[in-house]
Amino acid sequence: MSFRKDFDEIVTAEMASTTGGLAAGTLLAFITNQIELIPALLIFLPGFLEMRGNISGSLSARLSSALFLGAARPRVKKNRILKGNVIAAMLLVLVVSVILGAVAFFANWVFFGIYDYRIIAIALIAGILSNIVEVPVAVLTTFWLFRHGHDPNNIMGPYVTTTGDISSIISVFIAIVII
Amino acid sequence: MSHFRKALRKVTKLRRHEHHPILHHVHRRYGISRKTIFYMKEYGPHSHVAHVIVRESIKVLIMASIISSIGGISLQLMEDKLLAIIPLLILIPAMNNMVGDFGCIVSSKFTTMLYMGKVGGRWWKSRHLHRLFLIILMSSFIMSVFIGVAASVIGYWSGFFPTFDTFLKVLAIAVLSNLILVGVIFSVSIIGGLAIYHRKEDPNNFLIPITTSVADLLNLVIFAILVGVFF
Repeated sequence: MSFRKDFDEIVTAEMASTTGGLAAGTLLAFITNQIELIPALLIFLPGFLEMRGNISGSLSARLSSALFLGAARPRVKKNRILKGNVIAAMLLVLVVSVILGAVAFFANWVFFGIYDYRIIAIALIAGILSNIVEVPVAVLTTFWLFRHGHDPNNIMGPYVTTTGDISSIISVFIAIVII
Repeated sequence: MSHFRKALRKVTKLRRHEHHPILHHVHRRYGISRKTIFYMKEYGPHSHVAHVIVRESIKVLIMASIISSIGGISLQLMEDKLLAIIPLLILIPAMNNMVGDFGCIVSSKFTTMLYMGKVGGRWWKSRHLHRLFLIILMSSFIMSVFIGVAASVIGYWSGFFPTFDTFLKVLAIAVLSNLILVGVIFSVSIIGGLAIYHRKEDPNNFLIPITTSVADLLNLVIFAILVGVFF
């Protein structure tokens, strides 16, 4: 790939990503009142956003490597590598969300003396909700980019962290409402 | 062609971590990159893809997420200054996103370079790596200026009216912290990527969480230091 093409793809994706970051920050500012009601959420949220970006980013990177090496084709059906990747992403989000919820619960208990286990349930529900949106988005966009001659590695990192941030904050908000 | 298929079948049947001489034989005879053969061994027909990914990723993901939670606590410590200077508050999520994005891009591209044989033992001489560094450095500078200006403009709309001096300081914080972090991201990606690759594991499963969590944590630390210096 040419220098110019790589540079253009990265800057364009970053423009979208940072704009999304500003939007996510604004969104977070709007729900600060709800978040303040559960102090442990402030401990949980950065880890949750990090996890979402890491899992979707790794998923896209693995798929990109498989596509470039010809080990997988950009299609959803009859794709063993895709199936394994999706199952792994789902499992990882569930396990890590519960652990993050538990960490936030204990930190809340130890540092603030508040015994409130709802944060674990919020973590689990938010993890499931964000998975439902984020995994298909990451997979389909990686395939689409590859099919159209782009390098998914240049675009998917910024893309999944932005969509992940927004979907995670909305998922956490919905989880709070449900709980 | 049947010899080739037979040889590939033998390679995919090898147990993981086993570095069989046939790998070199297939590489020499059929001109297939050793990295490609290694990839097929990792995720080939006889491996359980989900199991490999979960087993290799779980520890590092938990560690990375917990490190970020620690970062959240440090963010809380600077609450007063951040609430007083609104553009700084607006800057944080965008900067965190950007640093994470560059971590993802550098890690995934470096891993693909390793698999495709574009980075060898003397990685510092790789023109592909030089090119990637230049692209990321230029992109980082442009994006830092963009978010610095955008944060000030949004802050202005939100009712915070910065002086020209404050505007320049916000811009300087955005640019300086991002340029420092580009160096950190490259160091972590190269050192970590090579170490993981030499352990015969897939860097895709480790490198992004490691790079982004280190970058996120350092982002908050460097940001806090620069806020302390400038304000």
